[in-house]
Amino acid sequence: MESEKKFQISRRDTLKGLIGLPILGYFANRFYVDHKKSKSMPKVNWAEHGISEYDPDIIPSLSYSTKGDRIRVGVVGNGGRGPTIYRGLGYAEEDWAKSFVQNGSPTSLLKDFLKQDDLNIEITGVCDGYSGRAESAVKIVTTSFRAGGAPKANPPKIYPTYRDMLKDDNLDAIIILTPDHLHAAMAIDAANAGKHVYLEKPMCQTIDEARALRDVVRKTGIILQVGHQNRQQASYMKAKEMVSKNLLGPVSLIETYTNRNSNGGAWIRGIPKGANESNVNWKEFLADKPWREFDPDMYFNWQKWFEFGTGPAGNQFTHEFDGVNQVMDLGIPTTVVATGGNYYFKDPRDIPDVFNAVFHYPNKGLSLTYDCTLRNSNFRPMTFMAKEGTMEVGVTLSVFPDGMSKAYKEFSQNTDEPIFTYNPRSTGVDAVSSATARSYFESGFGYTYNKGDKIDCTYLHFKEWLSSIRDGSQPSCHVEKGFEESVTFIMANISYLEKRLVEWDAKNEKII
Amino acid sequence: MNDLQNNNGKLNWKLISMTVLRIAIGWHFLYEGMLKITNPDWSAAYFLNGAVGPFASLFKGMAAHSGMLGTIDFLNEWGLVAIGMSLIIGLFSRWACLGGIVLLGLYYFANPPFIGLGGASTLEGNYLIVNKNLIELIALWVLFLFNDSKVFGIDRFFRK
Repeated sequence: MESEKKFQISRRDTLKGLIGLPILGYFANRFYVDHKKSKSMPKVNWAEHGISEYDPDIIPSLSYSTKGDRIRVGVVGNGGRGPTIYRGLGYAEEDWAKSFVQNGSPTSLLKDFLKQDDLNIEITGVCDGYSGRAESAVKIVTTSFRAGGAPKANPPKIYPTYRDMLKDDNLDAIIILTPDHLHAAMAIDAANAGKHVYLEKPMCQTIDEARALRDVVRKTGIILQVGHQNRQQASYMKAKEMVSKNLLGPVSLIETYTNRNSNGGAWIRGIPKGANESNVNWKEFLADKPWREFDPDMYFNWQKWFEFGTGPAGNQFTHEFDGVNQVMDLGIPTTVVATGGNYYFKDPRDIPDVFNAVFHYPNKGLSLTYDCTLRNSNFRPMTFMAKEGTMEVGVTLSVFPDGMSKAYKEFSQNTDEPIFTYNPRSTGVDAVSSATARSYFESGFGYTYNKGDKIDCTYLHFKEWLSSIRDGSQPSCHVEKGFEESVTFIMANISYLEKRLVEWDAKNEKII
Repeated sequence: MNDLQNNNGKLNWKLISMTVLRIAIGWHFLYEGMLKITNPDWSAAYFLNGAVGPFASLFKGMAAHSGMLGTIDFLNEWGLVAIGMSLIIGLFSRWACLGGIVLLGLYYFANPPFIGLGGASTLEGNYLIVNKNLIELIALWVLFLFNDSKVFGIDRFFRK
């Protein structure tokens, strides 16, 4: 009797001890069913369409060699964009670099900078109309923070004007980052002197200049790269694949935007302390423009006037246009209409702060729009609206199915979930993130990504240009692309200023 | 002694409810872990990169280091599975409770529902300081103290 009771207790003990096991079994069964069901959820087989959501090393210039002849470069201008340009070339301003040093080691942007290749160049000369900026250019060039382990450089020569620089034999190429109205003359003189040119955007201020520069580059065969560094943006390359493989169907509308909400964004950049008539070459700045008295605001904040700058169309839309042109090879529009006004900034200026333009491409069955406000900074990505879906392009790319899509019919019920996402920031492990919310992908400007590495687009754009100089090939943003960019934005500015629809006469290369 | 009954012969609901709570939390951990293991594209990178609050830079730093990220992914995936199974079957449950508290603490501090932080924590509910991670963490603490697996669980066989 006693032994039987003991046996009963131990059997109960066992049952109580193992109570979790049937639950574990039940879990296994439910998990299997759930897993099988989620596996059978429809997903577009992109590999079948010849496109991948994970695509490292998509950027050609990453692998370009910098070996070969050392290229001797002169840099004209050192304004707001100067330090960024020098970093792209491998020379980081000491103060900037030191702000990224913590406990003796480089952090964030400085680390990414130091990883850039040594571009194998020598900056032999610099110049700027304001002597203070020419001197600071020398300081930057002789920095101890060089990319790719390059040694500290010799100080470059300061030339009074770019013409003096071009006269010197000690130079193979020049980089022009001056006010817009000086671009064409400098680039044309450089080409005629047989120097290769890297020219900041926009390429030119007028159609005549654009034609003259294109013709002289064609004639002399120099290598010219326009400074649209987004040509190196991985997501744009993926967007081009998406469109050229016809995975979106016909594109009927492309939307582009600039939204800014700061004084700097409205080109109020200040006047350097100590700058005055004695150390600013005002005459050289005016160039062929009618004489007027020295105006430091005009000299340092030239973007605010159409006389020296090119307004939102030339300053910002050209980047957007070149992005779209890179993806779809749109070329020059047939007609353009633009409108806007100067509503918010009451300082001396004549450019608009709200600007809207529509570019028509009847032969391609689409219109391109551009909307700009300098009083709201909400980010809106470049958007390609096509029959089968909508493609949003920034640093990342997402494709959302259209509600009426036939090609992606299975997904058309859920137009907020991307069916394709390309995020070059990813390191690979998390490349496919189909169910990620639209808002997750924000844009960035100036950097692209490869296998999780952050890379300065301007650096890659220089690398490509220098590689073209060494091997004689054409860079991605060559003069013909620059010509399309210039004509397109100039049409918008003329439409805005003359309050009319303007047309492009392609045969005679004239705006009518 | 009959564990299912109190001294007065009624069912010991207190103990039964503790066991149900333990198994439910185990189930949740196990499913989270298995889901991550069976999804080859899963990585903690997105979660870590979305970190907000006082420790955000620490969590983002983990994501930025690719070697460390692999280890974090592995420990997180298999940690969740081990803790989940342990809680369901009631084996080494006290250790599992501690492990779960550590993991939930990390999730909590990576995305704490503190005032003014906003962030992903408000996506499916509304939280102020207390969120589901914190409640699950506290529940594990209670389980750690009550130690019901000594009655309903394999730990029973190791009872001294």
